[in-house]
Amino acid sequence: MGLKIAIVGCGKIADAHVEEIKKIPSVQLGAVCDLEPIMAEQLAARYGVPCWYCDVASMLEVEKPDVLHITTPPQSHLSLTRQAVAAGCHIFLEKPVALRHCDAEAIIGTAIGAGRKLTVNYWPRFEAPALELRRLYETGVLGIPVHVESFLGYDLGGEYGTALKRDPEHWVHRLPGKLFQNVLDHVLNKITPFLDDEEPFIQAVAYRGNAGGGESRSGELLDELRVIIRGAQVSAYATFSAHARPVGQTLRVYGTKNTAHVDFMVRTVALERKQTFPSALGRLFPPFLVAKDYLRQGLRNVNSFSHARFHFFDGLRRLLNEFYLCIEKDSPPPIAYGEILRVSAMMERILEQVYPEVFV
Amino acid sequence: MKVLVTGAGGFLGFHVVERLLAHGYTDIRCFLRERAKAERLLEMSQLYPGSQLELCYGNLRAKSDCVRAIADVSLVFHLAAGLKGSPAELFADSVVVSRNLLEALETRDGFPAQKTRVVLVSSFGVYGVVPLGRGARIDERTPLEDHPELRDTYSHSKLRQEQLFWEYRQKAGFELVVLRPGVIYGPGGGAFSSRVGLQIGPVFFHLGGSNLLPLAYVVNCAEAIVVAGTHPESAGQAYNVHDDDLPTASRYLREYKRHVKRIRSIRLPYFMTRMLAWALERYHRRSQGQLPAIITRYKAAAAWGGNTFSNAKLRALGWRPLVATSDAMPATFEYLKQQDQRQ
Repeated sequence: MGLKIAIVGCGKIADAHVEEIKKIPSVQLGAVCDLEPIMAEQLAARYGVPCWYCDVASMLEVEKPDVLHITTPPQSHLSLTRQAVAAGCHIFLEKPVALRHCDAEAIIGTAIGAGRKLTVNYWPRFEAPALELRRLYETGVLGIPVHVESFLGYDLGGEYGTALKRDPEHWVHRLPGKLFQNVLDHVLNKITPFLDDEEPFIQAVAYRGNAGGGESRSGELLDELRVIIRGAQVSAYATFSAHARPVGQTLRVYGTKNTAHVDFMVRTVALERKQTFPSALGRLFPPFLVAKDYLRQGLRNVNSFSHARFHFFDGLRRLLNEFYLCIEKDSPPPIAYGEILRVSAMMERILEQVYPEVFV
Repeated sequence: MKVLVTGAGGFLGFHVVERLLAHGYTDIRCFLRERAKAERLLEMSQLYPGSQLELCYGNLRAKSDCVRAIADVSLVFHLAAGLKGSPAELFADSVVVSRNLLEALETRDGFPAQKTRVVLVSSFGVYGVVPLGRGARIDERTPLEDHPELRDTYSHSKLRQEQLFWEYRQKAGFELVVLRPGVIYGPGGGAFSSRVGLQIGPVFFHLGGSNLLPLAYVVNCAEAIVVAGTHPESAGQAYNVHDDDLPTASRYLREYKRHVKRIRSIRLPYFMTRMLAWALERYHRRSQGQLPAIITRYKAAAAWGGNTFSNAKLRALGWRPLVATSDAMPATFEYLKQQDQRQ
């Protein structure tokens, strides 16, 4: 019998967790839990989960899961982690890790102190193009990173955005860092593998977008964010935009040898190479090389699709696989704790500048 | 008598408020989520001298808003429901808000639940039509769905919502009237129900064929809700709501093309829809959900199984459509055409 999994928090993102857990044959989803019984019941009914609870203590006591997925808003992450770790669970945590950096430190400290594993749902990092980028970096194709640009788009008219706009009491509105606090992990966690400074220089500016005039789509909510980050060796731009189209998710890594451009939405990695031919010839060939990269990536995607490995949350499944494996083998978790904390610290410093009245 | 209408700012809600005023109910609390929707209601109420619309803003997900909404009312029309979004959103907006409202009613101070009548707008989607076979007639005696998890999430959430109302009726002792409309349409609504077909990419797959379309023109539907909701003999009953002269899905599509705009459509006969559904199901299972199972054999049987419908029970209460389908469809298409031109 493999690991027994349980989920606490039965909102939208829990669907993704359930679907990906069910694809891993070596584990078993035993129960789901939500303070709101109707939400727990509906998730269990739709996915055929054997048990549902509205009290996490009861679920931990009765089900005795090996791993608890915490998919609740971050306000509850610290207390739930403490409760779950005390019950002997390993933790798979939905982002954002916590409301404040000190809480993120406490969460990781709790897991380490109890000898339990913990990781955070940085799923785009485990998408195929992200793994290809890692390979390019580790094999020296990029050279030494000089600068990184991470972009995340957001659709306020989409499923998540609409829910946010329609409900003034939505938990995201109650985050001290509002919308940014819910999305910044996915902007910053793509930068931290290349920028390992503990306290880089950070300059952030945020505003309400008004592209094309007219009323802002998000009311009073700040929805555009630009951040400059400078470490000892590497600099970065982090951009969040709710108005730029298409709604993209890209990463550009400028190296001393070559530059890589990763598109997480269409799952491509293109390499912009140093010119090797002289003069006009050097300007003639590069577009063909980039086109060749895209063609190769496109064919690879077709291959992935034909082998049923082209799901939206494919990265989540891969991350879960690695996390469950690290528990079974007692090896280090797939994302280093230091990196999770660097993301959290960076996020707090950005939000301090955006919402100084809250993040004092 | 103070009346509460939840979802008063919505497509159907506006007309229910109008019909209540027309039937002489003047003291109405309109519960709205968005302030922008209030102006139209107030404008309309000017046509009814002596009317008192109380605008109450909030979100029924908040229990405190439910307490405010339900205070001092003796007749509740509950229309608020989730129509789109993720499954979690649909359940939160249809079922959780209903439970909050019913709890507020059950625990209300000074005005016992037993003296209150609650009118729920449910859906045709709650019926368990699949085991009945192709072409079965759907009336109020048709059993409710046994396998909601096999249906679309909207129907699943509406079934759970209706079950909740019957459960609370037992506990709290209020009078309950349930209306189950078919496809509500009209100016302000959408163009196509999935009973006509599905738009997939640039092509509209016409799956409804010659099936009857259980249309309920929004004004007729609102009238039905008010007539049944206030009728002395309707307590504890459920009523199907659809118009009398129902068109087929193919006629609706043909008229749409003629009056609104040309669209590319492919007609799939039912047996081909079933085959496509089988293939999609199989692929969905084998690929572990790489493509969504938007059509399954179960969903196909529920939506395009060629059912016929009865509104005889509603008619027995005295309800008659205020607008004939021959007038309602052109009015709807005119609106859709204007919307299309505006876009």
